Amino acid sequence: MKFRAVGEAFVIIALACLPAIGEGFYFRDKVSWQSPIPESELVTVDQARAWGSGAIWVDARPDDEFAADHVPGAFSLNEDRWNELLQQFLPNWSPDKKVVVYCSAQSCNAARDVAKRLRDEAQLKDVFVLKGGWEEWLKKHR
Amino acid sequence: MKTPILTFTLSILLAVAARAELKWEQNTIELHPSAGDKQAVAHFKYENVGKTAVHFKSVKASCGCTATQTQKEVVNPGEKGEVIATFNIGDRTGQQVKTITVQTDDPNPTQATMILTLKANIAQSLEMKPTFVYWTSGEEPKTKKISLKAAKEFPAKDITIKSNSQNFQSKIVPGKPGEWTLEITPKDTSHPMGTALLIQTDYPKEAPKSFYVNAQITNPAPPPMLRTPVQSNAPALKTATPAAIPSPAAR
Repeated sequence: MKFRAVGEAFVIIALACLPAIGEGFYFRDKVSWQSPIPESELVTVDQARAWGSGAIWVDARPDDEFAADHVPGAFSLNEDRWNELLQQFLPNWSPDKKVVVYCSAQSCNAARDVAKRLRDEAQLKDVFVLKGGWEEWLKKHR
Repeated sequence: MKTPILTFTLSILLAVAARAELKWEQNTIELHPSAGDKQAVAHFKYENVGKTAVHFKSVKASCGCTATQTQKEVVNPGEKGEVIATFNIGDRTGQQVKTITVQTDDPNPTQATMILTLKANIAQSLEMKPTFVYWTSGEEPKTKKISLKAAKEFPAKDITIKSNSQNFQSKIVPGKPGEWTLEITPKDTSHPMGTALLIQTDYPKEAPKSFYVNAQITNPAPPPMLRTPVQSNAPALKTATPAAIPSPAAR
């Protein structure tokens, strides 16, 4: 009797899994390729603001978006002109500063990519991605 | 009682039979741009295999670096076409994944939104680790090293380094074939200053490639008491980018 109940339960679970497996296979190309940013690499607007002059803000959005508006004092550093912009940014960096990188919904993963290059290639420490990006900063300041 | 059920069933069948459907040849395209390419272009081909016309509502790229173009707004049954996605490489390296979200008026929600994926593998011709070395003001001016390694498909045999900064000495030390160590030594670390060093390879012969590494004497960390909780808008320090080195923008 017990075995029959277990068997039936197994069949029900397997049947319930079928649509999920089918959907996973059908939408396999819609699954995000980007792994989420670890919580330890994220910073909120309030936390970053609390760092005051100990934080250096980096705008990873394209040039035109930066030119339209940006966090006061932020430096433009995007991958379109990485080599040139990095040369302008580094003289303003010092080891005691925390780097806060942001982008917007339009430039999606730009902040994460820029932060990764700063960590991996330039080997800077204390590089964070702003949670909610430019839109979140606007919400709190406009 | 039977008539409404029959009508309902028939209307469902007719709706299914008259469906619009955009069939995509590929929804993921992988590109391998060559060194020096400025753009990577993907052509996502489709065909309307349904029985009604499909209207594009929007075609949006996930990133400002990718431009999209549809050839037409309406795709009639049996018609073919393509969505062209142009990815501007800029100074990017490694694998880049960009998505394009296509929305149509297809009544079937699974067909109405299609996500196209463009993958571009941008070869890193010369691996440089790290790309930035620094000393804090007053620190002992010890030599710092950057390792350089040419990729297999980038057979550079020799590299040169250019720096006009009088404050930094640089030296290339050859290692195994295709590998070098760049040694950078500041003469003086008494005040903040920096330089960009230009590395040029002997490959390809007709258009040698340029790479940049940065060296910096940074400000010493202020004592914790002096840090202010106010956003600094202090003007940027000037980088001593040598005049003889073409800036990346001028390349």
